[in-house]
Amino acid sequence: MATETTVGIAQTEKAFLKQDGMFHLTKSKKMQAKKNRKGQIRYYKNIGLGFKTPAEAIEGIYIDKKCPFTGNVSIRGRVLKGLVVSNKMQKTIIMRRDYLHYIKKYKRYEKRHRNVPAHLSPCFTVKEGDIVTVGQCRPLSKTVRFNVIDVEPCSTQKPVNVKKQFRMF
Amino acid sequence: MGIGRDSRHKHYKTGGRSKTSIKKRKYEMGRPATPCKLGAKRVRRVRCRGGNMKYRALRLDAGNYAWGSENVTKKVRILDVVYNATSNELVRTKTLLKNTVVQIDAHPFMQWYLKKYGVDVGKKKKGAQKDEKQEEEVKRSRHVIFKQKARAAKTKLDHGLEEQFQSGRLLACIASRPGQCGRADGYVLEGEELAFYKKKLEKKKKN
Repeated sequence: MATETTVGIAQTEKAFLKQDGMFHLTKSKKMQAKKNRKGQIRYYKNIGLGFKTPAEAIEGIYIDKKCPFTGNVSIRGRVLKGLVVSNKMQKTIIMRRDYLHYIKKYKRYEKRHRNVPAHLSPCFTVKEGDIVTVGQCRPLSKTVRFNVIDVEPCSTQKPVNVKKQFRMF
Repeated sequence: MGIGRDSRHKHYKTGGRSKTSIKKRKYEMGRPATPCKLGAKRVRRVRCRGGNMKYRALRLDAGNYAWGSENVTKKVRILDVVYNATSNELVRTKTLLKNTVVQIDAHPFMQWYLKKYGVDVGKKKKGAQKDEKQEEEVKRSRHVIFKQKARAAKTKLDHGLEEQFQSGRLLACIASRPGQCGRADGYVLEGEELAFYKKKLEKKKKN
């Protein structure tokens, strides 16, 4: 049987990677009509809240069950914005959120920050210094409760020292 | 309960430890892991939180397997455990877990295929003359023969599956969780997935 459908999906693991709930050999005409430009039957969804599903999520060949667009997570609750501090982890990033804390006695503010680990779907390419929008989802690991849903790449070509910046969103 | 599923004993992300003054709670309990092996059926019932039941399969030898592209499901015997992505140890000890690749008895599917398409999948092509004699023995009305031929003309059996039918064993993947529901149900491997696992098995054989 010609199985061009899943050709190219990076089978990097010891078990066969596939989207949960998608039968790649389906003969149903309804599913056949849903093929993407590469001729693959791929599950993807609109996460809502006005966020656009990236083309890479629809056309891509990656399998990520924690991806908000092609996996089994829903985005609900808070939506935060922050600066990417580190993308050294596999499929996750550390995002930094800066804020000002008011000291009543002195009527002044102090700078504070929080690091938020967020899951990064393979449909996004992110580097340090990018501004990232993350949406709350169910706990994906011990510390990850957020999922990257949008990226604004930083325009500077010089290396940015993320830890010395202070940017509120 | 010795095993607990709480997160209070863990370190924080910063590395700090918490001095917990809370004892272990029943809602955090865990039970000892008992993997399901291949053998004569043995299933234990466990009363869980809320009065719900879990069926802990300790030994299983049969399951409900689905042939996806043909949309058939048959209860078949599980013959052998062949591959487990987690560890080779689990294959050696013939442990049945979700996503374990097993060999199942192909005969129920062969019989179904014969009835639907009038084609005996298990036979090799050399025995064509003998087939015709046997076909005559099985009485089928002209209407049935016509239907079967029409269906057979449309479908084509995957080469990978054809080979397996001739050996009488199909490769299948367990999709249920035997330790939770007490069943080792799954689906017959086809297409890309079948090719993937076949490659893995060949690699193992070489080693």
